[in-house]
Formats: sequence, structure tokens, C-alpha cells
Amino acid sequence: MVFILGVNFPERNLVKKSLESFFGIGHLTSSRLLARFHIHPTCKVGELGNKQVLDITAALSDMRIENDLRRQILDNIKRLKETGTYRGRRHALGLPVRGQNTRSQIKNATKFNRIERRI
Amino acid sequence: MVSSFCWSCLTRLPTASPRAMLPPTLTAQRVAAFHTSGTLLASPLKKKANPQSSGPGYRSKQGVKLKKKKHVERARPPPVGERRALRKRIVLSNPNALEVADMQDISADNMVDSRLRGTILGLPVPMLDQLRAVQAFKPKQGWSIFRRPGTVTRRETLELGRLIDGISDKPEDKGKVVKRIITGPKGTGKTVHLLQAMSMAFTKEWVVVTVPECQDLVLANTSYAPLSDENPHLYVQNQAIAALLSRTVTANKNVLYKLKVSREHSALKSPVKPGTTLEDLANLGIQDPATAWPVFQALWTELTATSPASGFEKDFTPRPPMLVAVDGLAHWMKDTKYRSAKFEFIHAHDLVFVQHFLSLLQPGKNQQSALPNGGLLLYATSASNNPSVYSLDVALQRVAARQEGVDPSSPDYPAPVAYSNPDQRVLAALDSPKSSIPTEGTLELQKISGVSREEARGLMEYFARSGLLRQQITEEWVNEKWTLAGGGVIGELEKLGRRLTVSA
Repeated sequence: MVFILGVNFPERNLVKKSLESFFGIGHLTSSRLLARFHIHPTCKVGELGNKQVLDITAALSDMRIENDLRRQILDNIKRLKETGTYRGRRHALGLPVRGQNTRSQIKNATKFNRIERRI
Repeated sequence: MVSSFCWSCLTRLPTASPRAMLPPTLTAQRVAAFHTSGTLLASPLKKKANPQSSGPGYRSKQGVKLKKKKHVERARPPPVGERRALRKRIVLSNPNALEVADMQDISADNMVDSRLRGTILGLPVPMLDQLRAVQAFKPKQGWSIFRRPGTVTRRETLELGRLIDGISDKPEDKGKVVKRIITGPKGTGKTVHLLQAMSMAFTKEWVVVTVPECQDLVLANTSYAPLSDENPHLYVQNQAIAALLSRTVTANKNVLYKLKVSREHSALKSPVKPGTTLEDLANLGIQDPATAWPVFQALWTELTATSPASGFEKDFTPRPPMLVAVDGLAHWMKDTKYRSAKFEFIHAHDLVFVQHFLSLLQPGKNQQSALPNGGLLLYATSASNNPSVYSLDVALQRVAARQEGVDPSSPDYPAPVAYSNPDQRVLAALDSPKSSIPTEGTLELQKISGVSREEARGLMEYFARSGLLRQQITEEWVNEKWTLAGGGVIGELEKLGRRLTVSA
């Protein structure tokens, strides 16, 4: 088991998949991270050197991921509401924000668009 | 407006109702006796629409219906490495095939015997482990249909045999270096040609270094790292180099354990004691892949050493010639799948491993040939797993033109098409001028095509004697198969030979 940013990953996992398990890291960000530290894409977590693990953790802790990113998204929505923008109002009403029609098919908007959005 | 009256006959009275006008029988049929409702007239197929089941209404709250996933019990995946082992498995013997009675094994004597042209020479059983170690056999080759592995002695094989024999034994050919790129259509036996070279080199006790699949080094499947802080644009693949060392040591154990180190190796972490064998030296890199590259460099310096450094004279023995065999060259002529720190693709020539083997094609430096103790460089292209690299095509045409004596400054010298933007590094890698050292040959291009009819006949007889082919082998029949096989393409001949034929 290897700790990356406080999360314990089994050694047989791919490094790339493990990085992508963090909220806010997808394919491109993880590929760039791997390239930055010269880790090949099929590398397993167990094959990482100590220095590489520390490097990755250091790089991840500088990035806005996980709860920081979630908080940022919520803050953005809240700011829209507080400044009284149309987008903020639509979020609060649970309606589509980007000018979609509301005659039908707004299930996702009613599900997701909240002020206190669950992420 | 059209009136309901018929103007042509004014017999109809305006007071008469239309019902009364209809014939009585027709009316009786339409109206059932006691039923006044329309239920009978309604179609039985049409169902009543239920307003509740047509989905939620406009903006009505309804939760997302999620189906509970059923937990499916899956079989356990096979253990790690099992599928790969099955895929890469090489079967060299088939106990159901007949033993061919008078089949000779390849040896120092018969590899130059031109009377054996067209016969099958077996690979000696003790050598099979060595050949397996250097991965000379490929999984898709048809070794598993015969009793024991053997190869056809064709014209190119005999020529190769004479070459290897000359470099090993003849004093006038001592230290001769032959550099060849082997090309040819699919199934013509390029890889088997390399295998034959390896088997001959093993019989002559050469040191054999092979790269069985160039693609493995560029697919980004092994670890890589920048070589050093001074050379941030060169990359070293420690695992791959450790694997190369391991292949070399396993295959050449009986040569390497006799040779001792001949100089200091300052690049290594711990100083090597005088009297260390080259086998032990190489094992350092296998045990600790982090040091694989310096160890490989040290091993290469030792193998190419012509004289000992001062203080090491006691244990020095002359080094044997070397065979370097590389298969699938085109993969080394383009960008790899590795990424640099700036997220750009790394060119294959920036990998030190690749750079080392490609630099051997150039004339040697410091008044020494690329292999000072003589030897053979055989770099084969592949036709089945071949990325299309335009620059390589041009570079190979140039090699062929130089071989035919076309001067690089002449207008006949092949040039890339305008605006094709060829890779200059590829052109430069194969653009090897004539060496100033007399023993070092220039880079040649050897094109392998189909076997001759006599050789095809020998091969077909071998199939028949192994019990795979129930057919009278006649001149006419062989000629037919030779033509069907695209002019003796040996891979196609094999397909024809192993096909089940039932005689009526």
C-alpha cells in the first residue's frame, strides 16, 4: 500500500487510475502529471520510487482538487446568487441556467441546480 | 354548394328524411337490436390511455428511478502473468510429428557446406536454451508442427555461414565488421535469417546481443528517466536495459564467464575488482536495474576491448567477435509513446538504448571500428508489424543506391519528395559514410525474397517426411506450390505444406 496525498492505494493499481480517483483530475491532468515526473503510463503504484511518490504528493497538494475544488464550485454558485444574477436565480429555482427550453426535459436541472449543490 | 337533391329527377320530396330513403335491410344490419352504446363498435385492440402512466407531468416532482444493480458473481480473473505467458508461449516440439531420420544439426563444419543447400538443418538441443534466452523464436512461427526445430539452408544462409566462419577463423578476415539492414516482403524469413545467424554465432562461440522486438522499447511500457541533469533530453530505460543484460548473460554464459575485466570502470558505483568475470559484471546491472545503463556501457567497453589497461594484463583474453541482431527496426525511426516533462513525445533516437544500437551503424570513432573484435550487425525490418515511416523508406533507398555505387552528390541519388518534411534524424542515422578503417564495412541493404525452386523442394520434402504432407513430391507439384507461394515466399510455402490434404 502506498500513500498518495493521504490516500492509501494498493500496489497493483495503475498510477494513472489512482490519480484519476481524485476529484478534479481526469485523463489529461493525470497524463501531464505522469509526464512531468517521467512515469510511464502503465506504471503500477508499487513500482513508484519513494521520490516519485513524494513528488506526486507535493504536486497534488499544490493543485486545487477534492474538497477545495468542490468548495470553489459552491462558492461560485453562491456568488452568482448573492450578486443577483440571472444565472444565480436559475440555480436557486432549480431551473436550467444556460438558456435551455423548459417545456420538457429539465430533469437534470431540477436534480442538480441548487444553491447548496451536492458534489 | 352542392344540394342533396338530384336535379335530374325531381321525384324526391324535400320532406323525406335520408334514413327513410335507405333500403330497410341495410339499416337492420348496422344497428344491433338492444345495444345503444358504442362499446361493440370500439376496436378491442385499442387500450385505454392511462393519464398516470405517461410519465411525470410538467415540473412535477418525481425521483429518479434507479434500478438496483444485481450483484453478479464473477469468476476470478486468471493469475497475474498467466494470459501473457500463454500468449508468448513458444512450443518447439510436436511429439506427433515424425522424426526425420538423417537430419543434421547445424555445426561449425556444415554451415559452410554448399552441398547442403535446400536441406533442413536442425538446431542442436543444447543451443535451444540459448536461442530461447535471446528470444530468437517468435510465437507465431510454426515451430510447433515439427518434431524438433530446424531451418532451411538457403543461399543467404550459406553466404551468412561463410561470413561468420571467415570472421571467426580466417586470419585475413580477422576483425571484419559487416553491417546489414535486412528487408523483404512479409513471410520471406527475415526473422529466421536472424535466428540462423544467432545459431551460427553460438556454434562459433561469439557473443550474441539481441533486441528481439524494437517496439517494446518505444511503447512506453517500461520505466524511463532522464539520463542525467547534464543531459535532460536523453532518456534511459533501466528495466529494458536490465532485461537486455539478462538475455545476454543467460545466452552467452559459457563465453562470458571465461572473460575477465580489463580496465577500471569509474562510472560504476563500486569499483570492480580485477579478476571479476564479465558475467558477474553484467549481473550487477541485473540485480540493481538503477545501475543497468553504466553496467551495460562497462560490459560493452569490455567486449569491444582490444587490449587491457595497465595493471590488468594478467587476466586478459582476446574478446570474441559479436553478433548484434535487432528485429523490427522501423519502430525506432519515429516518435515514441513516452512523454517528456513538457508533455511532448520523445523521439526514439533520444533513448540511449536506441541511440547506442543505431550508433553502431555509423563508422567507428577513435580509429576503431564499431566492433573492434569483428562481428556482424544485422538489423531487420518487419513487414507484418511495420509502422509506415517515409523517412526510413527514403533512407533505405539511399543505402541501396550507395551500395550500387551511386554518388550522394549525383542526381540519381534518392531524395525525399518535396514538402514531405522527412525526419532528418532518420536520414542521418542510416547515412553512414565509408569508414576509414579497412576492416569495417559500410552499411549494406540485404533484400530477402522467396526461396529458389530447389530450396522449396527441400522444404516440401521435409514436410512430407515429417508426416505433415501426404503427397508425392514431384517437380511439377513443387513448381505449382512455389508459384502459389508468390515465388517461393517461405511463409506461404509453410501454409501450403501444413494444410491438411486428403488424397482421394
